[in-house]
Formats: sequence, C-alpha cells, structure tokens
Amino acid sequence: MTTGPVPVTVIAGYLGAGKTTLLNHLLRSADERVAVIVNDIGSINIDAELVESNDGSTIALTNGCLCCSLIDGLDVAFESLLEAEPRPERIVVEASGAARPASIAAHAHRPGLHLDGVLVVVDGENVLRQAHNEYIGDVIERQVRSADLLLLSKLDLVDADLRRRTEDWLGRTADAPMVEAPHGAVPLEVLVGLGARHVAEGVGDLDLHHAVTTRSESWTEPIDRDVLEAWLDALDPDVVRVKGVVRLSEAPDRRHVVHRVGRRRAIADAGPWDRGRSEVVVIAVGSSR
Amino acid sequence: MTPSTTIYPARRVVTMNRGFPFGEAVAVRDGRILGVGTVAELAGFGEHVVDDRFRDHVILPGFVEAHTHVMAGGLWQFPYVGYFDRTDPDGRFWHGSTSIEAVVERLVEVEREMTDPGEPLVAWGLDPIYMPGERLVAHHLDRVSEHRPIFVYHASGHLATVNSAMMRVSEIDANTATPGVMIDASGVPNGELQEPAAMGLARTGMMALASAIGSDASKWGYANEARNGGQTFVTDLGTTRIHDEASMASWYAAVDDPAFPARVMLAGSPMFGGLQDPTELAAVASAHRRENTRDKLRFGVIKLVLDGSIQGFTARVGWPHYFRLPDGHPTNGLWLMPPDAVADVVTTHHAAGLTVHCHCNGDQAAQVFIDAVETALERHPRWNHRHTVQHSQLTTPAQYRKMAELGMCANLFSNHLWYWGDQHRDVTVGPERAARMNAAATALRTGVPISIHSDSPITPMGHLHTAWCAVNRLTASGEVLGPDERIGVHDALGAITLGAAYQLELDHEIGSIEAGKLADFAILDDDPLAVDPSELKDIGVWGTVLGGVPQPAAGRS
Repeated sequence: MTTGPVPVTVIAGYLGAGKTTLLNHLLRSADERVAVIVNDIGSINIDAELVESNDGSTIALTNGCLCCSLIDGLDVAFESLLEAEPRPERIVVEASGAARPASIAAHAHRPGLHLDGVLVVVDGENVLRQAHNEYIGDVIERQVRSADLLLLSKLDLVDADLRRRTEDWLGRTADAPMVEAPHGAVPLEVLVGLGARHVAEGVGDLDLHHAVTTRSESWTEPIDRDVLEAWLDALDPDVVRVKGVVRLSEAPDRRHVVHRVGRRRAIADAGPWDRGRSEVVVIAVGSSR
Repeated sequence: MTPSTTIYPARRVVTMNRGFPFGEAVAVRDGRILGVGTVAELAGFGEHVVDDRFRDHVILPGFVEAHTHVMAGGLWQFPYVGYFDRTDPDGRFWHGSTSIEAVVERLVEVEREMTDPGEPLVAWGLDPIYMPGERLVAHHLDRVSEHRPIFVYHASGHLATVNSAMMRVSEIDANTATPGVMIDASGVPNGELQEPAAMGLARTGMMALASAIGSDASKWGYANEARNGGQTFVTDLGTTRIHDEASMASWYAAVDDPAFPARVMLAGSPMFGGLQDPTELAAVASAHRRENTRDKLRFGVIKLVLDGSIQGFTARVGWPHYFRLPDGHPTNGLWLMPPDAVADVVTTHHAAGLTVHCHCNGDQAAQVFIDAVETALERHPRWNHRHTVQHSQLTTPAQYRKMAELGMCANLFSNHLWYWGDQHRDVTVGPERAARMNAAATALRTGVPISIHSDSPITPMGHLHTAWCAVNRLTASGEVLGPDERIGVHDALGAITLGAAYQLELDHEIGSIEAGKLADFAILDDDPLAVDPSELKDIGVWGTVLGGVPQPAAGRS
C-alpha cells in the first residue's frame, strides 16, 4: 500500500484549451488509482466511466468568494481523498479556466500530498489572440508562466506562420518545455511520470511511445546532493521528466527518490537503501521545440 | 368576528410612497398594511385598538438589505478583536481593540473563562491596517496560552494569525512548503497565514469557524443584527446551499418560528458549495420559489461572482488598472469565472425567469456582466429581469448608461467609502477613480435603480450608516471623497427601502408603506428627513415591526 505522500497533478489552462480532453486521455491510459478534483462552473464533461474503471473517484469542487470564503473546498476535497480506502495513488485537479495555477498548486503542500507538477494546456489555435485580449491576456500569460509543462492543443488547426508565431511567443513567455498534445494524446510518462508503484519497485519496464526519447543513467557510488541538483538543473530544455532512485552521500543508507517535472525538481527520502545501483531515467520530447 | 386591527400613531410616518409621502399613523391588520392617514381616518376600517408605543417615534418602511451573508450571525459566537467599536446581535457593546496589547488582553480574559483545555480559541475581526508598527504574531498569542491552540481570523478574511500551539497541532514548521506561511528572520513560521491554502493548514481553527457560521444560532444572530438596525428584510446572497436539504431544513425551522425577527431572501449560487451546473441551479431555485416561499422566506435570485476585491487587488479593474500596486502583485485581479463563460450562465438563469445578481467590484467585471445580459436579452427577450450589478464599485458612467438601456439595476457598496475610502484614493485606484467609486449620483442621473449595502459581515449591517455613507461620502480620515457623487437623504432612504425591494422583485410586497403591503416597519427615534444629514447614522433605532408584530432591538422595549 502507498504510504508516502500522494502526488498531485494540476491541469490548468483557459476555457476551451482542452483540459478535459487531456484529463480523459490521462484517465484512459493511467495504470494507477487516479482521483479527480474538478473545479469549474458549468457542465462537467469528464467521462465518469473512466474514473470508475480507474477505481478512483471524482469530486466536483466549488468556488468560494474571495473576500469571504472560510473553508476552502480544495482542502476539504484533498482531505476526503486522503482518508479514502483505498487511498488514490494520484490526485489530478482540473483547475477552472480562469484560475491562477499557482493558487491551486499551493494547496498541494499539505501533509500527505506532494505537488508533482502543473500542466498547462494551451489552445494553439487561439492563444496568441487571447494573450492580447484586454480582459484575459494577463490571465493567459500568468497561466503560461506558471507551467511546469506546456501542452499545446489544436496545433493541427493552424497554418505554419501562426504556429511559428505561437511557439515564438510561448518560448519568450515561459521557460517550461512544450509538448504537442493533439486531442490530449500525450504519453502518460510525460504527463505524470512513472506511477507510484514503479517508483517503489524501481525504475524499469518503460513502454515509451515513439514520440518520446528516453535514456537512463545508473551508477554505484553515492552522489553529493549539490552535484545531483546541478546536473538536474543543467539538463536540456526538451527534458520533460526525470524520475529515479538514488543514494546520496549525505545519507548512504537511505533511498531517495528524484523527480523533475519540467523545471520543478524534488528529492525526497523514500526509506532504507535496498538496492545495488542508483538509477535515473530522463524523458525528453525532442521534436517539440 | 372582526379581524383585529391595530393603529400605530407616530410622530410621523414616512411612507417612501411618492404619491402619499407622509402620514400621522398607520393601521395594520393580519400582518398587512390597511392604510396611512390620521387616527380618525383610519378608524373608518372599523373596530380597532390604538397602540401608542410609537407616538414619539418615526415610522419608515422596514429597511431592505439586498447584499449580506448569513455567516455574519455566526462570527459573533467568537470574541471580536477588530479595530472599530461594534455592537453584537445581543446588544452587547464591544470596544475596538486598537493595539496588540488590547487584543492580547481581550483574549486572556476569554481564555480564562474556557473550560475544555483542548478546545481551540477562535477570535475574529483583526485589522492590522489600522495598527501601525509591530504586527501581531505567534509570540504575542503565546502569552495568551502556550497550550491551547489559538486562531485569530482577520477582518479581510484573507489572513489568520495563530499561536505556537496551533502550529504544533497543525504540523506547521520550518519544513512547511505552502506559500503564504509567513516566516521570521530565522526562517521559522511566525504564525501569520496568508490566503486560503495557508489558512487551511490550521484545520481546527477553520473547522470551528465553519461550524459556527453554518449553525442554527448563526441564523438567529443574523436576523437579530438585522432587526437592531431597522432591517426587516435581508438577503443571504449566495451563502446557503439551496440544494442541501439539511441547510434548508435549518432555515425553515428558523423562519417558521414566530419570534424570528426578519424576512430572508435566499439567493442560489454556484459559490460556497452550491450547484455548479447552471441548469440544475436554476431548476432548484425555481422549484423553491414555486413550492417553498413562506411568510418569511423568498427565492428567485441567483448570485454569481466575477472578480475579487479592490483592496485585495483581486478585482478586475480596467486600464490603467491599479494605482500603487504593491510589489509582487499581478497587474490585474482574478476572474472567478472565465469571462467567455458568463453569457451562457446568465442566459440560463435569465431564461428561467430568475434575477441574476452578479458580484462585480471592478469595471472590467461589470462590463463582462453587462455584455452577458445584453446577449441573454438578444437570445431570450424579457422585460422585467432587473438583473443587478452587485458592489458596482468602479462602474463607469458609460456602463451606467448601458445598464439603464438594458433595464439593469445596481447595488452599491457605499460602506466602502468610509471603511476603505482613504486606501482607495491613496493606494488602490488613485484620486479620480476613488472619487467616482460607488457612484450613486451618476447611477440615479442615468436612470439606473439603485440600492446600497453592507455586505455584512465584511462591514457591519445597519442601513442608516450605509445611507449616511452614500449621503456624506466621508472617509475614516474625515475627507469627502467625490462630493459630486453624494446623493440626498430622500434618495438614500429610497435606496435602502423600495430600491432594494425593486431589484429583488419584491416591490409589490415590501419597500414602502402602502395599503396592501406587508406591515414591515423600521421604528426610529428621530426623523431622517429632519436631522442634519451628517447625523443620519446617529439616529437611534427602537427596532422594527415585522408583519405587524413589534420587534424591539436588543436592549429596547
């Protein structure tokens, strides 16, 4: 059973960008128990059967008035999921279309949770126009800047010139890796990395899709934390994910799990050292940029 | 047997009915108004008793508050540590706590009376804006108790300050990564928790607040506070989950009690745990209006929220946006709904025959709502919708003209002028736009029906104070903010009576003293049309008459 913190994935992006399509894709391909928190006004289009077949649950979240909300619904939703039996192996929050992703992600630091990453879906057909709109331009820009990973939808609908200008603007505005997401179809490894079970059992058995390149590194000696961090920070911009299990020289009898999602990285203690080698897998999307 | 008739002679009856503005007495039968006139004239209705208790008072229509929240009543279950003096619903006067020492002293007194050592001490109303210098932090509260968890909820609703014991039980320490957990120079959390994600870590404090505001007692505190200020009708604007049977049962029990001293409009909303799907929400609100309307309960309004608050820099303000934006703040505020989603949601409620009241503090938010109403009208023509811009603090003259064309109303947050007017002029939007905040005169000139409100518990409920704000536009520092947007006393009295009733589509029942309407009165010690306008807020309130039954304010009889 999972006892470590439950990873939280935030899916954000403006109305119509394709968040729900991406979420449904994620649920369809997930191999872990995924619970979903949805935060949007209007109809909710998640395929309920997908959630059920995942053995997870869906919680519809509501907004609180900013000036007087007392109990934040998100905290209550997280709490009930952490108490659920069996506990979900991942929680995905679909943010409202106008939400600031960082405000949502702030809640994923509670005890029992671990923020895995903020995925921002961008409407490749309309984002440039939206970014220059007086009412929502700042919202779009802030969302793009908050991303750990940018997922571009609807690029199949745009011509080469608009595509170039869109990618230019995104490249100038955000420093997160960009991945094309036609109809939400992005390899699961890119969206959520390896499931909790994989991490617990060690890296391996990767079934990576052809659009994704991967390499793995392994070594036997313990590594200094700052050397590891410097290496993580220096990886190519097309690296979307790093996952691994390492032995640090500061605690050679402990097992540490390494995550990098886009530009966010975390190194966490995961129990006693119980294997021969440190091993890290690097996932890149070479064609995206 | 003749139904019983009571005639109330008064110093003056101010009817707010322009066709019959004043009288010497009002006659009541079966909870409704028989008529206004002299005692001798009213005696024509037949057998009656003359009740002299209001002979020295002035009778006005019961005040109608179209924007408050029921939680106002629940907060008073905890000690108040705000800066301004306040009176609670039971009539107890609370001195403002104007220093950290005063806050600590009050909490020490409260702590001494508590018996269960594990129970968290919750207090509310702290407003550091008014306490220059040192900020209240955990080590101050540790002087109150090192063992009992303490949670002090700020007036803004965006912050809480807790003691070390609360941090211990909440697992808040130097390793806590949640943004908003403020730290001291050595990197240790100092007890201040900013914004919901951080505040939510202090779970027991937040849960105590939540259960108090959802309690039955909260509803009584709310209605008592209303009555104490002359309000006979209050609107819980979107705080109650109208689809939740337990919440509704609690309301039915309260309003069906003959002693419950106010009538209530429960506006449905997707906020605060309400139904997200507009079609479902509209169906539930319509069913309530059809089946559950009661003597003291009304339905038919939907509350939406588009943006945040101006003082929190989260309202959507048009170019040039904010005036002196604090470092690190985004240039513009938050959308609580994507602007492109608003027209469809408004259309759903509009087509269902409901009235949409939409929170729009900033002018960008107002524009999105106005455009959404225009779209709804194009799709589904309807003549008496009375959709209302709530707060409407920065609505521009051009927007008011368009609102008039579309048949829209505005409910202005006039209390802001007093409580935050100085900050708006100096910090949030600068002098020119601050001078036209809550532009009651412009609204009336352009033909937009208005009301004015307290947004209680954000500011205290009390319509004479709110009217005084709209009439005088004084800030807390004593400056007149936007003299050209001041309105006359008669217009302000109209806004707190018939104006509010109109935008709730209840002007056939309440809002003026006319034959056939409900016998709901505000009973005042003095005549608001006779006193100096600067003294409007100081007029004593005896209480109310609700459906013909006298309801004395706390401490009055």
